[in-house]
Amino acid sequence: MSYPKEKLLEMYRSLLGDRILEERLIELYAQGWVPGHIHSGVGEEASYTGVLATRREGDCYKFTHRNVSAYSDVGVSYRHIFCEILGRMGGNSEGKGGINHIADKDKGVIGMAGALGCDIAIATGVSYALKLQSSGNMVYCFLGDGTTSRGPVHEAMNWAGVWKLPILYIVNNNEFSISTHVSEGCSIPNPGAGRAAGYGMPAKLVDATDVLEVYDAAKELSDYVRSGNGPAVLETKGYRWRGHFEGDQARYRDAAVANEWHKRDCVKNLESYLKEKDLLSDAEIEAIREETKAAIEDGIAFAEKAEQPKLSAIYDNIFAEPYEN
Amino acid sequence: MLVTYAQAINAAMKEEMRRDDKMVIFGEDVAQHGGIFGVTRGLWDEFGSDRVKNTPVSENAIAAVGVGAAVFGLRPCIEFMYSDFMLVAYNEIFQSVSKWRYLHGPQYSVPLVIRSAAGSAFGAGAEHSNCVESLFLHSPGLTMITPSTAYDAKGLLKSAIRSNNPVLFFEQKQLYQVKEEIPDDEYLIPIGVADIKRPGKDVTIIAVGLMVRRALEAAEKLAAEGIDAEVIDPRTIAPLDRETLFGSIRKTHRAVIVEESSKTGGLGAEWAAMIQEELYDSMDAPVQRVAALDVPLPYNVAYEVAAIPDADRIISAVKTLF
Repeated sequence: MSYPKEKLLEMYRSLLGDRILEERLIELYAQGWVPGHIHSGVGEEASYTGVLATRREGDCYKFTHRNVSAYSDVGVSYRHIFCEILGRMGGNSEGKGGINHIADKDKGVIGMAGALGCDIAIATGVSYALKLQSSGNMVYCFLGDGTTSRGPVHEAMNWAGVWKLPILYIVNNNEFSISTHVSEGCSIPNPGAGRAAGYGMPAKLVDATDVLEVYDAAKELSDYVRSGNGPAVLETKGYRWRGHFEGDQARYRDAAVANEWHKRDCVKNLESYLKEKDLLSDAEIEAIREETKAAIEDGIAFAEKAEQPKLSAIYDNIFAEPYEN
Repeated sequence: MLVTYAQAINAAMKEEMRRDDKMVIFGEDVAQHGGIFGVTRGLWDEFGSDRVKNTPVSENAIAAVGVGAAVFGLRPCIEFMYSDFMLVAYNEIFQSVSKWRYLHGPQYSVPLVIRSAAGSAFGAGAEHSNCVESLFLHSPGLTMITPSTAYDAKGLLKSAIRSNNPVLFFEQKQLYQVKEEIPDDEYLIPIGVADIKRPGKDVTIIAVGLMVRRALEAAEKLAAEGIDAEVIDPRTIAPLDRETLFGSIRKTHRAVIVEESSKTGGLGAEWAAMIQEELYDSMDAPVQRVAALDVPLPYNVAYEVAAIPDADRIISAVKTLF
């Protein structure tokens, strides 16, 4: 398939931005800036970038605890993201939600539930609201291979199939739910794509280290979903480079296998492709890298200086105002 | 007009569906069939398949789809066949319905009503008879309404549907077919306002749901014995109308709490603690709780009747205060 240059560069910028953010987050956590836990998605960026390159104005998104960099791909500013991660003013929740609840409704972000999987049905509910608008918009709902074992996921997928809702479920299969290998959690090889037929959904399986392969499949499935055919599943097969959360040494798995996966780097893969096609030079790569880094550092510096929430506001936002419509 | 409690609830939904085209209804068997208790009867016929929908038997998803639809522009009024089944979706209700706004910020609100049939119904058994309000008291962000009359049910459900916040609405199965005269004209009842069902001066009986009728029956019998009981129906369990309750207790200096669910960890436990904290100096006697026995509600009807408070048990509790 051939791609417009602008599309390729857009994907490259997004991929690189996500990589830098995921790496920088590890440092921030190590320095003690993050109140909770972080789940680095370094190495898995293409599953988000490739899919989100098919989005349209008015679409909605349900992300996960891993790859919080995805929020920047849909337009949430780095300042906002880092303020929320640090629990400061300047994010969305005024210090109450944190890294797992980065959100911006105007950008279509749905939010996230702490018990993984429960929010798959919430995202499905959003797709019902979009369907009634008849706008051709859809929901992109991301989840991991471990989450596919939760009951609510199956309730949601079954429901979406019956109501023919406009939602694409992206199962990011990185082989591990904390320490448990996917083969111990699911009796078939592909926990997303393999189960889709049971809910009347088409599915595709792609290499999560090849952003163009991810994009092609996401394009085909999102076109299908937007056309009113109902939901679909895209499973991206990759590998979790780091532990479940920072501090997890991942001693439960074979380091040699992990090292092999590190060689299949989605950012480098796209860089090689772009250089081969003469679409991007080393100097341009360096310029994009510096520009992206500067934007991320600005976000971090802003958040580090941002105000702490006032303790007197602890009861704010339990209820919406006005209470009644 | 003379309507049953179920018809009053139905009328509230119909009026609000006509008023706001963002309102939708879904749940198990709510469309063509009109719900197993017939409460949504006729709504599918009038409003069609986009707005009145049957769902799969998937309680987790019913609650969660409700959240997503509510956050992104709809105003869902969804049905859980039995309030017991809200426990299947306990996580969704306790963690997501109630906290979505707090965790994601002021851009987000959850204008969602979850209706369900609650309480005993002569042989429905231990898993179809529970009153679960107390289990949800512990999650800030939830509004809970338990109406004891057709009039209250209609006016409060309309307010619940118009609320920008999530509401759990507990309908009393034994009241569904009880007829009552209600106004022909539209009316609303504000959330968070208790109703004095019978004024009195000697003792305050706080009763919830089906127990309001039993408390009123007890009050009449007590009157014959010279004890003038005030019966208060909080109507809204959360937020609680503390002012009305406290005003009454300051006057009577005695309080009895009557609920249909079991005693341990119930509404009465919370409210008795609250009353002792706030009104200790006004009290002439300890707060009494009249509640179901601490047993899974048995199937045999004689067992069931024995487990749930009746007027005589309320009378006995009141008499210990004098």
